[in-house]
Amino acid sequence: METTSAPLSVGTIAGPAPLLEMTDISKRYLGVQALDHVDLVVRQGEIHALLGGNGAGKSTLLNVLAGLVRPDAGSITLSGEPVSIDHPREAQKLGIVTIHQELSTVPDLTVLENILLGNETALTAQGALFLHRRQMARRVQPLAAEFGITAAELWRPVAEFGALKRRAIEIVKALAAEPKILILDEPTSGLEDHEKSLLFEHMRGLQRRGVALIWVTHHLDELFGLADVATVMRDGRTVTTAAIATLDQGRLVSHMFGGEAAELLSIPGAAERPADDPVRGRPRLRVTNVSRPGILRDISFDLYPGEVLGIAGLAGAGRTELVRALMGLDKISSGRIEVDGRVRRLSHPRRAYRAGLAMVPEDRKQMGILPEFSVAESISISRLGSVSVAGLLSGRKERLLADSYISTLGIKTPSPREKIRNLSGGNQQKAVIARCLNTRPAILIFDEPTQGIDVHAKAEVHRLIRELVDGGTSVLLVASEFSELISLSDRVIVMNRGSLVGEIPDIHRRVADQGIDAVKHLIIDRASRAEQ
Amino acid sequence: MSTTRKTAARVLGIDGVPIVTALVIVTVYFSATVPAFLDGEGLRYYLNEEVPIFIITAGLALVIIAGGIDLSIGAVLGLSAGTSLLASMHGAPVILAVLVGVGTGAAFGLLNGLVIVKLRLNDFIVTLGTLNIAAGLLVVLTDHVQITGTDDARYLAIANHSVLSVSSALVLAVLVVAVLQAVLVKSAFGRRVRASGAGASPALVAGVDAGRTKLYAYVVSGSLAGFGGVLLASRLNSVQPGMAGGYELSAIAAAVLGGVSLAGGRGAIWQAAVGGLLLATLKQGFRLTGVDPLVFSIIIGVCILVGVIVDRSVYRLALTLGSPASVSPRPEPARASGGPGR
Amino acid sequence: MSAITSRALGESLRTRFLGDPAVGILSLLVVAAVVMSAYEPTFATTGNVTNIVNAMVTVSFLSIGMTVVLIAGGLDLSVGSTMGLCAGVAAKLLTYGLPMPVAFLGALAAGAGIGLLNGLLITRLGIPDFIATLAMLGIAGGVLLYWTTGVPILGYMTPTYYYIGGLTRLIGPITVPMILVAVIAVGVSVLLRHTRFGVMFYAVGSSPTGALHAGVRVARVKTAAYVISGLMAAVAGIHIAGRTTTVPPLIGNGYEITAIAAAVIGGASLAGGKGRVFGALVGALTLTLTRNIINLTGVESSWQAVVTGLVLIVAITANQTWSVLSARSRARALTRTISVSRAHAPSTRREGMASEAPATQRHPETTP
Repeated sequence: METTSAPLSVGTIAGPAPLLEMTDISKRYLGVQALDHVDLVVRQGEIHALLGGNGAGKSTLLNVLAGLVRPDAGSITLSGEPVSIDHPREAQKLGIVTIHQELSTVPDLTVLENILLGNETALTAQGALFLHRRQMARRVQPLAAEFGITAAELWRPVAEFGALKRRAIEIVKALAAEPKILILDEPTSGLEDHEKSLLFEHMRGLQRRGVALIWVTHHLDELFGLADVATVMRDGRTVTTAAIATLDQGRLVSHMFGGEAAELLSIPGAAERPADDPVRGRPRLRVTNVSRPGILRDISFDLYPGEVLGIAGLAGAGRTELVRALMGLDKISSGRIEVDGRVRRLSHPRRAYRAGLAMVPEDRKQMGILPEFSVAESISISRLGSVSVAGLLSGRKERLLADSYISTLGIKTPSPREKIRNLSGGNQQKAVIARCLNTRPAILIFDEPTQGIDVHAKAEVHRLIRELVDGGTSVLLVASEFSELISLSDRVIVMNRGSLVGEIPDIHRRVADQGIDAVKHLIIDRASRAEQ
Repeated sequence: MSTTRKTAARVLGIDGVPIVTALVIVTVYFSATVPAFLDGEGLRYYLNEEVPIFIITAGLALVIIAGGIDLSIGAVLGLSAGTSLLASMHGAPVILAVLVGVGTGAAFGLLNGLVIVKLRLNDFIVTLGTLNIAAGLLVVLTDHVQITGTDDARYLAIANHSVLSVSSALVLAVLVVAVLQAVLVKSAFGRRVRASGAGASPALVAGVDAGRTKLYAYVVSGSLAGFGGVLLASRLNSVQPGMAGGYELSAIAAAVLGGVSLAGGRGAIWQAAVGGLLLATLKQGFRLTGVDPLVFSIIIGVCILVGVIVDRSVYRLALTLGSPASVSPRPEPARASGGPGR
Repeated sequence: MSAITSRALGESLRTRFLGDPAVGILSLLVVAAVVMSAYEPTFATTGNVTNIVNAMVTVSFLSIGMTVVLIAGGLDLSVGSTMGLCAGVAAKLLTYGLPMPVAFLGALAAGAGIGLLNGLLITRLGIPDFIATLAMLGIAGGVLLYWTTGVPILGYMTPTYYYIGGLTRLIGPITVPMILVAVIAVGVSVLLRHTRFGVMFYAVGSSPTGALHAGVRVARVKTAAYVISGLMAAVAGIHIAGRTTTVPPLIGNGYEITAIAAAVIGGASLAGGKGRVFGALVGALTLTLTRNIINLTGVESSWQAVVTGLVLIVAITANQTWSVLSARSRARALTRTISVSRAHAPSTRREGMASEAPATQRHPETTP
């Protein structure tokens, strides 16, 4: 791969002249300022970390660079030449390649075809009409093999592979394109340690070759020793750009979330909660040997009244699948589910609601809200009986119901008639919680309840969960952020590849005794151990 | 954006305003330019002719709001007209003849619903298939010729009875629209229909049985097509193969013009009916001005496209204007990717 | 290494071929043909076979076009009407005394234009595929009806046109349309499987986002698919005008159903990203043979429409079942290789977890 590419670099190879300059970039979406005069300067051979909380505008900025989003204002120059990037294709021609956060491989094409799709020019003679698949396979092979893709696998459709292999395919695809600027959006999510270090090694290799890397990550500990410069964004603005040597984690966090919010990040209320276990009576939910082929294996646990049971695990451990099965969204092949001592066949969410379960699902946009519904309609939908008079829906009752939840949960909306899609993420989430509460659940399941909502809403959701439990509701909590899980749960069960691999009772006392890091490490150890 | 434009957009964003405005404009235009347009006899005649379309439009709107589509309604209407008329010709009492017609429609609705929901097949394709089946069965039933007619005066009176100088068929059509609209907004079933159409996954998570809801919507749509068939047979007292072919296009155009979103979850039955009225008015106006009736299918096709485009732009406008509460960043729809329809 | 590569290639060919429903259907058809020729003496006659092939030709053109659109993730309901309109254009221009190449170019231009319009409505204005092409079905049909004032077009046949219609044979049993189908089938097949553009069609249909991220101009590729479909409808129109020697205004009615059914029988999926030209031909043959058998066995011809409708529904049911089953067996095979590799290799966690994604079969109603 020694093809030195197009005459773009204008003789500034050694000097500190910036390779990429994004100046005054602004973008407004339907009334939301996603980017507000953002600047980003990246030099050749630099690993540039782009940091910020959810909704800080990192993705939008990178999408501008990738040609997926057209900015309203601002300019981009590459090696001093102004460029306009209107389509991913242009980005590719300029040597800007992205490893996207969400998987963007094409399932029906083979691994090889996927790799060549983005890199025709790198892999075939330019302008060649016909494909020479074998020749390309030979050329890609060594690189693919490094990431564990065998020669045979190059010829299989991507649909046959799981998420992690697809991530590897995506990395190979990007590296094979021989980029000038490589954008890595959370590239390590779900990767194993040795794959991470392999990727990091490649990043260093590219750096030595003069490639500029823009790297988005939430794992701040990965930055040190690898990144040269960090740009921090918050609320669509650039907060600071500084050499990584001058920064530490604490400084970064306060840049990312602002001083006040940084306090919110420290474990909320861990100390206030009673250290003793809730009085265990009869389990409210008893799950016995629940299995689903290839997904869940012999899961058994109990959930007691008034406790928060956290489910820990890495990506792909089967946590969401477990709660989906409990709600009747996925079918289980064997096992028994008892609610308050009664065996229940939860074959459909309707039955689950009737049995006293309710769920706040992950991925609010896809699974949580009905965008066309008003706030009031969103709250009543799971129990229409609560707003009916003589079998007909009563608008008045519905409004009263909505008003009561709007005030108790603090849902910020101009009126109960407002379409739920117009609310902010945190308020949408509260409306979904209100919908669940309206079914008077004995067991409330939260799957990633604070995903994609701002810090304040997050604190409110946490407070709400504690209030519910104090009122006697049982809560099942899935959260990927371990600190969140530990601070909210009374007890944690750990899943690993579809099986239950451990239980850590009495979380709060443990945290008090050993410190939160020790507990975290204990959970991570269980969750990631290969042998059981 | 200036305040006047904002206000104008807000008003246009109100449900039903665009379609009613369009109807008023078209009616006023034809009344002013075509003297024969306001003639009572002519009006009554063309409205009567459109009754079957009004009725299937109502059922179709329900299915679309539930997130589906039913292309078979026209052919099912024709087949039901055939079965019902034949039943009456063979001496079945009027009630039974009506039930045969409605039952034929209901059976097709059930078939559509079951195949689509239980086998999880694409609604367009399945109903395209049942369209063919129903149309083919009508050919078999009539053996390629026109069949006529029944002597049962009571059967013929279903559609032709005059109530306050309006035909009973028209009264029944208005009744159907009104009842279905009430079901949509006032019943739990109607609420579930909207939820299923707005998003099958979130509806399911919220405990709504989206599949069953959709199935019922298809049964309603089929039954109404059957009822429309009965009214048609009763009015004409004859049935021929190919009858009511292409009605589904008119019904889709009417629903789309009436602001029923093909994405599901959005729309109202009465607005779809007004959309049907607009189409009928256009048809009548053109007929009176001497435009070749052969161009109607072009007009209907154009109406479908215009309806969809207007609906999308009005919706987008409403989104951009938004509300003071809108602070959540929304992902930009990918520019280059094609339409959402798959 | 080349040995490994070629073995891999061989394996991929084998799974592609044996794992192909079209091959199974083709064998069924052969059995049906053998049985028919044993019981029905008129079946295996040259005349009847030519009949079958000639009728199959029209459907083949349409189903090849439909397959390309389906691969790109679209659906074209307008092909029947477009075919009719293009037949009308060719015939009308001939009756105006224009030379045949001009008339045919006119028809091709009309087909490509309608395809382009479909593509632009869908990709630029964001109208769902079904709706845009349904509207176009009405419009193209209406234009032909209005233009012909409902009267069939006659008197345009020339001796050359008899060749193109397949009514006069070229050499032995070979007719011009047969050669045309073969050439087009090979051409489109090479385009789809051996060029960069072909890969893009599959990419766009399989995952528009993934294709866009990879730098594919999704809108253009999809539009190109509709243009190809329009062109194929035009070719079918030119052919059918020659085959029937008159163009009645409703000549194209219902052909969209036949075309979709043929493509789906051949393995194309409404979900996009799947389909092959060979499958489209097998699908066309299936439908034509079915009709021929219905005719020969003396079943009332009025049942034809009913049968086509049933075949369509059965075909997509089978198609769906097939893909669900093969996804399941893939997931099982994957689990097997993992347990094998687990026994041998120390570092297998990655793959073990990887097995979860394709195996995910969620509740029926949550998958759209």
